[in-house]
Amino acid sequence: MGLKIIVNGLELRYGAYPVLDGVDFTVRRGDLLALLGANGAGKSTLLRCISKILAPSDGQIRLNGREARFIAAREAARLMAVVSQEQAVDFDFTVEEVVRMGRLPYLKRFQKEGEEDEVLARRAMEMTGVSHLAGRTITALSGGEKQRVLMARAVCQEPEALLLDEPTANLDIGYQASLLELAARLNREKGVTVIAAIHDLNLAVQHFDRFMLLAGGRVLAAGRAEEVITAENIRRSYGVPAFVYRHPLYGVLQVSVAKRPPAGEVDCKALRVHVIGGGEEALPALELLHRAGLSLSVSPVSIQDSGCRFAQFHRLPVVEVPPFSAITDVLHQEHLQLIRRAGAVVVPPVPFGEGNLRCLAAVEQALKEDAVVFVLEPAGISERDFSGGRATELLARLLREGARPLPRAADLLEAVAGRSQKL
Amino acid sequence: MAATRMEMAKLKRKQIGATTKKTLLLAGLLALLALSFIGAVMKGAVSINWWEAVGVMVEPFSPEPFDLALSPVHRDILLQIRIPRVLLAAAVGSSLAVAGAVFQGLFRNPMADPYVIGISSGAALGAVFAMLAGIRLSLAGLGAVPLFALAGGILTILLVYSMARVGRTVPVMTLLLAGIAVSAFLSALVSLLTYYAGEKLHLVIFWLMGGLGGATWYKVRLIIPYVLAGFICVSIFARELNALLLGEETARHLGVETDKVKTTLLVGASLLVAAAVSSSGMIGFVGLVVPHFIRLIAGPDHRFLLPASALLGASLLIATDTLARSVIAPAELPLGIITAIVGAPLFVYLLKKRKKLRYFGGGG
Repeated sequence: MGLKIIVNGLELRYGAYPVLDGVDFTVRRGDLLALLGANGAGKSTLLRCISKILAPSDGQIRLNGREARFIAAREAARLMAVVSQEQAVDFDFTVEEVVRMGRLPYLKRFQKEGEEDEVLARRAMEMTGVSHLAGRTITALSGGEKQRVLMARAVCQEPEALLLDEPTANLDIGYQASLLELAARLNREKGVTVIAAIHDLNLAVQHFDRFMLLAGGRVLAAGRAEEVITAENIRRSYGVPAFVYRHPLYGVLQVSVAKRPPAGEVDCKALRVHVIGGGEEALPALELLHRAGLSLSVSPVSIQDSGCRFAQFHRLPVVEVPPFSAITDVLHQEHLQLIRRAGAVVVPPVPFGEGNLRCLAAVEQALKEDAVVFVLEPAGISERDFSGGRATELLARLLREGARPLPRAADLLEAVAGRSQKL
Repeated sequence: MAATRMEMAKLKRKQIGATTKKTLLLAGLLALLALSFIGAVMKGAVSINWWEAVGVMVEPFSPEPFDLALSPVHRDILLQIRIPRVLLAAAVGSSLAVAGAVFQGLFRNPMADPYVIGISSGAALGAVFAMLAGIRLSLAGLGAVPLFALAGGILTILLVYSMARVGRTVPVMTLLLAGIAVSAFLSALVSLLTYYAGEKLHLVIFWLMGGLGGATWYKVRLIIPYVLAGFICVSIFARELNALLLGEETARHLGVETDKVKTTLLVGASLLVAAAVSSSGMIGFVGLVVPHFIRLIAGPDHRFLLPASALLGASLLIATDTLARSVIAPAELPLGIITAIVGAPLFVYLLKKRKKLRYFGGGG
């Protein structure tokens, strides 16, 4: 069991337009491969070439060493089963009838399905959890149920390879996971080679071991997740800035697409704003200001915390503090330098403890030097004061000395813009 | 992979249930056909007893000659008028029903009927042309009209097919659209010819309305080869047609050579339609309603749908034709009118009842 697929110099053109432009790769027996890439990168086209729906313009595909174009349709159907996006079926076949069609490539003309075929159909339905639907008509099922029925038919086909073309496109997150788990189980238990074109990178990373990224009809990268899913590759294939990090619970790679700033919403780009502190609580303010196109600086941040990642990703000036360390005099001075260069200072609702209390002192110093300071959600300080009341005291002093309180973070942009107009 | 004995036994019981039901349904349809056949042969301007009707049909197959005590007039009415007519009705009805089922499956469109891709318009054009030009073929002295109709139908399907072909494949959507365009064009030509029909207008209109008047053994013999060829073509690929219902790509993923299958099905169904139209004009609704009726009670599996549609289509057309020639006897109504008048309300009724009718395999 397990189909070996070798693709060599595969090209496919629609007219003069190349969809696949020299694709080379090998899928080993029992591989669990996710095919990634932007819309139009050629994922579906590649799968349809392998499944013999499309005839390549050039190059060759070898299935278990034999050239695909010389393999008859019936035999190809015993090697490969395909599940693609849910299709509309207008005729009332029962689920059982649809699943049993998986036996078609094994039956001779006018031969009726035997008991063996019936049992295989039944087992396929059990494995995919659709046994209870056997007598229902396919038109009466939900999208998720339908997709499982098509999966059952693929299982019933007893293929050596399972080709999935965006199988999860219309499914809710629960069905998405269970469908891909099923594919992984077939791969594990029966050694079936699985190739799946998939849009959701984070879903792919959780369920597959090998990855291939297509861009412009070519293979951009192939291999393990760490080799394929990098910010640079994603920028090149999908054309968006992305942030790659490890899943907090599973440790697998995860991808987030960075939002691009909308052009010219607030007319205050000349202004530099300094935002105090790291921690996730600072991120909404940072994101808001960054999207408005303001130049930012951040500090102090602990290396590897959220604020630090944000600053590194957007290449912002930052003062980094080693983890679990206090702010040294040198860092304090660097921090003051950044603040002095900014036209406004924002104190987001971050927690304060012994470690970062000193940055509030820097803000106080800045206030004395006539800086404009905004304090976000000052009322909530008591809940995020881990310095025994000293942060609360300091913040109250800042407000007395002229820092402006902003109870709602959403008002920040307007306040900063107002400040910019006064200049 | 071996199945356990328990699994096998459990399945067997279930399978037997479904198979028995389908066999019973087929047997019932066969009985219905036999009854309507005998009934239709008995009915008419001259009433004939059932034993006489059955006797005449059994006589040629009986090893010993038996005394039927049948008057020569009755014998002639049966053998020369009624039996060929009922046979023709059966052939036309089953052809239309099966062709309708195949086109509905092939186009994955429940609204498709045998006339959807213009075969009927081509046949009509051939027939009207033959009538107006007054062509007399020496072939058995009569029958230029059915011959021209048959040729018109077959030429039309060749035209539509070659228009829709892209390389080696025929996309069904293109086929449908090409068929609609060709059909509209040919219908216009038929109307044009009708406009200039003059004193033959009556003849043309009656032909177009459809009917089995003037059925002869000649007509039966003319269409039987095409009907048989058509049935064979479509029944070879009944199972593949099931797969095609799930989509063409899906069918190919299941190992169906779709181009070959589609072409064969198309040729088969077209032969059936051309044969039917050439001998009886345009009879509507049988090809649309009968496959739906069978699908509603037994699901869309073509291995059952095709034979069941053939049987029901034959019975239905025999019955409606009998009605057509007995309502205002000795004159007759055009058969096409009766099928539409009976068929349309029946169809609506079926649609309303659809949930309750599906009595095995489904009902979700």
